[in-house]
Amino acid sequence: MNNALIIGQYVPGESLVHRLDPRTKITVIFFFVFIVFLANSVVSYSVLVIFALLSMFITRIPIRFILKGLTPVWFLIVFTFILHLIVTNKGTVLMDLFGFSIYSGALIQGFAISIRFFLLILVTSLLTLTTTPIEITDAIEDMLHPLKKLRFPVHELALMMSISLRFIPTLMQETDKISKAQASRGVDFRTGPLKERIRAVVPLLVPLFVSAFKRAEELAMAMEARGYQGGEGRTKLRELKLRKRDVMILLLFIAVVAVLLVTRNY
Amino acid sequence: MRSKRTLFLIEVAVFTALALMLDIIPFLSIKLWAQGGSVSLAMIPVFIIAFRWGLKGGLLSGFLWGILQIAVGTGYVLHPLQGFIDYAMAFTVIGFAGIFAKQVQEAVQSGNSKVYLTYITLGVILGSMLRLAAHFAAGVVFFESAVEGQSVWVYSFLYNVSYIVPSAVISVVAVFLLFHKQPRTLLMAA
Repeated sequence: MNNALIIGQYVPGESLVHRLDPRTKITVIFFFVFIVFLANSVVSYSVLVIFALLSMFITRIPIRFILKGLTPVWFLIVFTFILHLIVTNKGTVLMDLFGFSIYSGALIQGFAISIRFFLLILVTSLLTLTTTPIEITDAIEDMLHPLKKLRFPVHELALMMSISLRFIPTLMQETDKISKAQASRGVDFRTGPLKERIRAVVPLLVPLFVSAFKRAEELAMAMEARGYQGGEGRTKLRELKLRKRDVMILLLFIAVVAVLLVTRNY
Repeated sequence: MRSKRTLFLIEVAVFTALALMLDIIPFLSIKLWAQGGSVSLAMIPVFIIAFRWGLKGGLLSGFLWGILQIAVGTGYVLHPLQGFIDYAMAFTVIGFAGIFAKQVQEAVQSGNSKVYLTYITLGVILGSMLRLAAHFAAGVVFFESAVEGQSVWVYSFLYNVSYIVPSAVISVVAVFLLFHKQPRTLLMAA
């Protein structure tokens, strides 16, 4: 339970990637998700793999943390690979297995798709491994700022995001406390048939939700007592600032995209 | 004078935190599939907000939940369009349960448990089905990008139905029991 109190996958560090402005990281990763689909040849895939692996090594995050982030997709990668072996029939027949012909095209395509998934998951998890959720939500607020003109409630959304993140550990402790209290009375959450477990959950949910309402009300009252009137003029402890290194990374990324476009079809 | 606005913002935020948390706690969610999609209680807070504050609260809470999954790193993006549908849309549409907010509240106030059970069920089914539709579409987009020229909708459909339907059933029961046992806390302090 104590381990679960740490929210998200953030691994503290001092690397260049850690210190980059979260907006830079989000921008690069946002476009990376699109350009991965442009790669269609050995060279262009290699460019992306080198970029992703280099970024990974620069973060100096232990490999096991990165692998942990990848575990949920192994199944997906294997599944699509096998699907390709079965349904794709391009290229030459490599071998016959139990009446199935395995084509060279299937192997190549299955491999390419696996690399693509690997790249996507690796690069997107680098964001959450090197950036705290608070930094990410700050960056999202800042990047949504232009929408304010369209009367999109950016400030309110940002406030809610940070309050949500702030409350997750508190609510977890609360859940832990209640579930221990209920367990001491003999409620069993962990074993038994589904129906029994659902029944066991009700005495946990009721106090949890009631206390969540209380906390929300207290916080709202405390904020209003201190003169909270909405987002305008709310300041931050940490201001986001674009530095030289951010510009460099953005330029480097543009270069990577350029190389990718040139090496397509090679 | 107390404005409802601050309370609204804070409640939506706290209940979204509950949703995120209920999804993470290991002993409360049953992971059916390794890559996300678990039978869990996580939709319950969003439904509660939807029935309490109406459509606006429900949609906002759902949207926030989706965005925060990306920030916390429990979301998986394997295709730009899939990412957008799965995280910006799928969770938001759960909030459509809120169109029955008025009926639920009136029935709870008058203590007519059959009526509010009906509307809670309708709301939860609506929210869950819309979420299912969104995840299904995202799944199709994802598989189409992965395996060309295959009719892949079956995989996406089976995969998503397998956890959303049980979650919806659990949500109906739990939301009903919460309104039944704590009507005063859950009703708007009007």
